[in-house]
Amino acid sequence: MLELRLVQGSLLKKVLESIKDLVNDANFDCSATGFSLQAMDSSHVALVALLLRAEGFEHYRCDRNISMGMNLNNMSKMLKCAGNDDIITIKADDGSDTVTFMFESPTQDKISDFEMKLMDIDSEHLGIPDAEYHAIVRMPSVEFARICKDLSSIGDTVVISVTKEGVKFSTRGDIGSANIVCRQNTTVDKPEEATVIEMNEPVSLTFALRYMNSFTKATPLSNTVTISLSSDLPVVVEYKIAEMGYVRFYLAPKIEEDEDDTKPQA
Amino acid sequence: MLSLRSCFYLRPITLPHPQFKKLIFSNNSSFSFKPISHNFVSPMSSRPSAFDALMSGARAAAKKKPANSSPKKRKALDSLDSPLKPSSFLALESTPPVESQCGSSVSNLDDHGGTHLDGVDLGETKLRQDNDGGVGAKIGPFGNKTCASSVQERTAKLKSSTAELKKKAKDFNSKNVACWKEGERVPFLFLCLGFDMISEESSRITITDIVCNMLRTVMDTTPDDLVATVYLLANKIAPAHEGLELGIGDASIIKALSEAFGRTEAQVKKQYKELGDLGLVAKASRSSQSMMRKPDALTVTKVFDTFRLIAKESGKDSQEKKKNHIKSLLVAATDCEPLYLIRLLQTKLRIGLAEQTLLAALGQAAVYSEKHSTPPPNIQSPLEEASKIVKQVYSILPVYDKLVPALLSGGVWNLSKTCNFTPGIPIGPMLAKPTKGVSEILNKFQGLEFTCEYKYDGERAQIHYMEDGSVEIYSRNAERNTGKFPDVVLTVSRIKKPSVRSFILDCELVAYDRGKQKILPFQILSTRARKNVAVSDIKVEVCVFAFDLLYLDGQPLIQRELNVRRELLYNSFIEESGYFQFATAIITNDLEEIQKFLDASVDQSCEGLIIKTLNRDATYEPSKRSHNWLKLKKDYIDSIGDSLDLVPIAAFHGRGKRTGVYGAFLLACYDNDNEEFQSICKIGTGFSEAMLEERSASLRSKVIPEPKSYYRYGDTINPDVWFEPTEVWEVKAADLTISPVHRAGVGIVDSDKGISLRFPRLVRVREDKNPEEASSSEQVADMYNAQKHNHQNNQDDNGDD
Repeated sequence: MLELRLVQGSLLKKVLESIKDLVNDANFDCSATGFSLQAMDSSHVALVALLLRAEGFEHYRCDRNISMGMNLNNMSKMLKCAGNDDIITIKADDGSDTVTFMFESPTQDKISDFEMKLMDIDSEHLGIPDAEYHAIVRMPSVEFARICKDLSSIGDTVVISVTKEGVKFSTRGDIGSANIVCRQNTTVDKPEEATVIEMNEPVSLTFALRYMNSFTKATPLSNTVTISLSSDLPVVVEYKIAEMGYVRFYLAPKIEEDEDDTKPQA
Repeated sequence: MLSLRSCFYLRPITLPHPQFKKLIFSNNSSFSFKPISHNFVSPMSSRPSAFDALMSGARAAAKKKPANSSPKKRKALDSLDSPLKPSSFLALESTPPVESQCGSSVSNLDDHGGTHLDGVDLGETKLRQDNDGGVGAKIGPFGNKTCASSVQERTAKLKSSTAELKKKAKDFNSKNVACWKEGERVPFLFLCLGFDMISEESSRITITDIVCNMLRTVMDTTPDDLVATVYLLANKIAPAHEGLELGIGDASIIKALSEAFGRTEAQVKKQYKELGDLGLVAKASRSSQSMMRKPDALTVTKVFDTFRLIAKESGKDSQEKKKNHIKSLLVAATDCEPLYLIRLLQTKLRIGLAEQTLLAALGQAAVYSEKHSTPPPNIQSPLEEASKIVKQVYSILPVYDKLVPALLSGGVWNLSKTCNFTPGIPIGPMLAKPTKGVSEILNKFQGLEFTCEYKYDGERAQIHYMEDGSVEIYSRNAERNTGKFPDVVLTVSRIKKPSVRSFILDCELVAYDRGKQKILPFQILSTRARKNVAVSDIKVEVCVFAFDLLYLDGQPLIQRELNVRRELLYNSFIEESGYFQFATAIITNDLEEIQKFLDASVDQSCEGLIIKTLNRDATYEPSKRSHNWLKLKKDYIDSIGDSLDLVPIAAFHGRGKRTGVYGAFLLACYDNDNEEFQSICKIGTGFSEAMLEERSASLRSKVIPEPKSYYRYGDTINPDVWFEPTEVWEVKAADLTISPVHRAGVGIVDSDKGISLRFPRLVRVREDKNPEEASSSEQVADMYNAQKHNHQNNQDDNGDD
């Protein structure tokens, strides 16, 4: 028996919107401690890890650890039917091959039940090590989204370099090149507008902008985004979900020296 | 040029929570748990920290070398001890029966998924069965770790042993090749290495040996994978009559390639232009994008199942979904796999493996691993005999899903008994050899009794009438056409004699004007809607011209002589003018008479004659271009009379064999009044290789960036390059037709349509003419009118309205 009641139903909607373009199908794992998901995109280049802790739910009951395979697009279709103020309850009976989403309007005058078929998905759980990163950048999530969007209109890849100066996002394309530098800035009115850079070692990595742009779909979940970088490691782009957990995106870097493709061939 | 990619090998570790249990839903609504994080501690202790692995993985990838050896141990451990683990009971419990496992994917889903899958995107769900079938070698998410080093080791091992495949069949031992365990899924790499080897051979006998040895290896280890292997070798995904097609264009593949390898589409396209083969592009693509984890090595079934999934995707975003399927295959592919993956997807394998060779090899392989039956004692060469049996059975039952399991369970010597010709499954139509004249026919059929029939200009069709009264109509290529001809369905039920319970008719469907009682040209027929036609909407009437009967009341007739079949045909149906007629035929061996009959057939707007043996060597030979059927067409005799002199004004880049030269040219005639060149047809035949080379070279210097202002052509043509008008080519063609695309003589015969040539072929280059002296639009229009005039005169003397 599984029953999770989330007062802030819009949160789940936002979570789904943030990952459904990256991953088609995924297993949602439920245990006594929380509701989580881990999945890679079809090219195995990016990985998304979601955690919603049990404490964040108004009511959380999970008798037995279960893993529910869902098509995220179909799930998103159902969640779109929920109002933004609705309370969402996720229910599943033991041994059932469906999951039920219940939406209650805040005034309790409308209650909807949506039942979705589950699917059997061959999941691959990867252990993600807790790494010490060379550089960690925390900045307003809207700012990061804007940078990714702007750069992707010029090039396909972004080089993220962290130096003492700040963090630099640069790209190069057919029409020209672009560099955006963000400096540390903690003297702001609201703490979420700060840009904080912790750097142990300078680092510079190249990533496909397509994925970065897809990650920024999680912007509505959090005011800030944390980007953790180490050379030769996947970057982590984390959106914290207040009092609940996080959505983390991991992205494998592009290999830079491999550029013979672009040179004209003899 | 390996397409290696670096991976970040993340270590499977404990999840933030206690162990997960995974629910597996089964049909009877009882469920079992599948522990997914079993026993992860002990094997893990032998591995370096994941962090190290991460780092070394990336660096090693840059150097294109394997770094991490421990995953292999892990793999070994898994496969060794897994059968003892409780987790494997799942595999035991739900292992589907052999037939269904290699059967269609739908039945598999039923086995595993029960009811909850209906209407859900079947995407990843199929993956399950790979695991279940694999004798518990892969259990749970932690079980299926196949990392680079083990993959590479396996690659190396496979590569070193594939030379063995070339051995003569009798010296071959499959154990020396198979690096996978019995019952384990056959690696896709094995197939690809086989493809590689076949592509380097030109001798059909050697190829047959290689294929035979490959099939034997599969039969000896994992017979369940044989159907998928055979389908991939045949580069098919389903029998033709199911109409299942991959439906992938170059654009999707280019997208998938660029995304999977982290390149831009422009780079991929550029390379495509250079190499002329997307498969080679895939092979040459070195990824600039590292991965979180290299996916598991591809297996034959995984690839085949994904192909079928791709084919079944439809509706909104289906191209996107298809692309994602392709991508997931590409990222998992190693070594030469990308090359063949792409070529298989394009259904252009091009390794010189004909289906007939595959069938022969299948028969031979069955002889070697024969367990079920022994060859009849009087057979001289069992191998040849077995090949013949398989070929013959395939020609009447072209369905590998039925043939292969029957071969495995019943043996090759019983195959003819276990696999039968059944209504509802189309057989390949018998085809005729072209001949040049009446005298050639008399030569070939010397001393044989033969018959001449009109060759109607319509669509070949095979009409199946089942015992239950249902009707299916199949095209020449075994595609289901029932929906296109609902009127024919009604007709055949009406014109059969009441005593007839079931039949298969071979016939030609011809557009027909019932009012004027005349046959209409093929072009009219092709204007009919193709799908879901309602009887009330039909504008183009068709008449069935029946000429052969292959099956009647439960009895296959294909082994009977034509005169017997024809007799039964005449006795089983009633002619109804304009709806159902027997093909006009005469029996004669008088040259004069045949010539007259030929002229008469052309007068009746037929294409010519088909000449068939009657008594001896007169069985129906499915899907064969047989010597016992000859065709004599009017355009073989003297085409449209005069040839035309035309000017190449544009060309298309060649693909495949024609990479580097132009593959086709756009020809134009000259309009004297308007002083412009008007496109008339595309031409790609009639060139020898040397000729094509020469023409391409000479025209390459005449390339211009934009079409001249005085070129007239359809907007849909889109050639790759345009030329100055410089050369004049003499071209022959079968027919002239009205074309919405081409512009020759536009305004003369039709206000906004031009004239085009059917089946144009190059005769020679006219060095003596300059482009302005090419055939004029007027000439073209005159020729068209002359031809039309003939037709009309013959068909309809009394003039029309």
